[in-house]
Amino acid sequence: MPKLLVCYKWVLNEQDIKIRPEDLSLDSSRAKGKISDFDRNAIEEASLIVEQQGGTVDALSYGTPAVKLSVKDALSRGPNRLLWVGDPGADDADALVIANVLAAAIRKAGPYDLILCGEGSSDMFYQQTPARLAALLGLPCVTFVSKMTLDGAVLKATRKLGECTEEVSVTGPAVVSVLSEINKPRIPSLKQVLGAAKKPSEELPIASLGLTPDELQPKAVRKSPKGFLMNRKNVVFKESDAAANVAKLVAALAAEGLR
Amino acid sequence: MAGIFIFSEDPQLAQQLLTPALALKAASAQPLVALTACAETAQKLASLGADRVVVLKAASTTPEALAPAIAELLAKAQASVVLVGSTSSGRHLAAHLAAALKAGMTTDAKALAMVDGRLETQRILYAGLAVCDEVVALPAVATIPQRTFLPPGPAAQAGTVETLEVQADARVVVQSRTPVESEGVDITAAIKLVSVGRGFGKKEDLSLARDLAGALKAEIACTRGVAEDEHWLPIERYIGISGQTVKPELYLAVGLSGQVQHMVGCRESKVIVAVNKDEQAPIFEAADYGIVGDLYQVLPLLTVALKS
Repeated sequence: MPKLLVCYKWVLNEQDIKIRPEDLSLDSSRAKGKISDFDRNAIEEASLIVEQQGGTVDALSYGTPAVKLSVKDALSRGPNRLLWVGDPGADDADALVIANVLAAAIRKAGPYDLILCGEGSSDMFYQQTPARLAALLGLPCVTFVSKMTLDGAVLKATRKLGECTEEVSVTGPAVVSVLSEINKPRIPSLKQVLGAAKKPSEELPIASLGLTPDELQPKAVRKSPKGFLMNRKNVVFKESDAAANVAKLVAALAAEGLR
Repeated sequence: MAGIFIFSEDPQLAQQLLTPALALKAASAQPLVALTACAETAQKLASLGADRVVVLKAASTTPEALAPAIAELLAKAQASVVLVGSTSSGRHLAAHLAAALKAGMTTDAKALAMVDGRLETQRILYAGLAVCDEVVALPAVATIPQRTFLPPGPAAQAGTVETLEVQADARVVVQSRTPVESEGVDITAAIKLVSVGRGFGKKEDLSLARDLAGALKAEIACTRGVAEDEHWLPIERYIGISGQTVKPELYLAVGLSGQVQHMVGCRESKVIVAVNKDEQAPIFEAADYGIVGDLYQVLPLLTVALKS
């Protein structure tokens, strides 16, 4: 029976983030949290594997103390148990710190037969965590997976690499990152949502992970995020007469020299 | 710490990496070393300014299989900056190297410079909603996307080329490798694009967009959903954060809402036009001109009007 782990990140919904026009700074005061999009595919894939062939899935997340808000959502998507590390320092964490924390938590809670991650988080999209985790844990790593099957200890996977696809196999344990096309994440049913409340979740205090101050020190420091301002003409033709709108657009394209 | 290192399995991208690497070399007076698994391109990299080119020989020379060997080589050389071409395999390799070197890493740097003994980079956040600077302590790793830099001109003096036998990581076995079927269309070179989203009800309806593209002498592009979820168009035509980035003269977006993940791939277009039935769709904020209306009504009218 395989013992799986899936890592996910609780991120701000980028659709809720507004750009302040006066200085282009980001206003995330109204932004709600969500499980990062690609991580939902990782949770779904891990859950499908154990639903089909038995075993267990633990979910693991590292974030600010707000990560606690994700517990119910994550557990309603299939995992049997949730482990989370909530620390205010996570706001400034770079991919090095994230991987150090996750690896330490995995050493404490593991070992696991398979560790799944999404391709990248929808906020920072560093795409570093899977390969960093594998390197830290001394495990082989299979990234950008569009299809996978687990047969005993043998993982077979299809990787999509832009210009080619690869069929690979690895004898576990291993770290895998999945692409969004691998599955359609479930929308949890009422039963699954209610069932999530009964599943165990546990906070792993960051101090319990045995990390040195240096391992928690970001080496890549983000400075002054600035909104990307769309500076466009915003001329919208919206009369009820479609032909009139089209005529105006064609005239505008002609004026731009684009006819 | 010494050495600016570059690696890409893509020969064109490897040459492009030399441009920022040469600037970092000039700013920090360190040797520039190109690592490659491709003996054929070694001389070219040496002639374009690499002081040393190290050709890695191994049983498998994919970037993933070479990762532990390259990490060992970089640690031994006490590399200060490592630039990797941002292909999928390249990003995998770079993250492995960063972990092995206990280094910070910028994914997909748009710009980079050495400032006060640190690598300063620029990249996007929130799928393109924002940009930010990253200050990375040395040693630092960065991936650089295709066509961010032009390759440099020939160097005054060519560098040396050497060969190094290394051990490949054989834990992941590649059973087969298949090139992705391609129409051979380079939509990044198109002057005009008609881009389609899921406002189209079915694949056959894309003929409306093709007719319009014909009238405009434009190519067809699409959203991720159209390519990856519906499979109506090949992946090479999809625009967005994990797809293509284009800068045409005209980007005519039809039946797509304009989510930031899509717009990051086309927002440097000269003129953006939107056709969408939802007046509240974010695409109108990102467009120069827009028509609020049903694409099934607007597109045939627009095609006829452009032909006349």
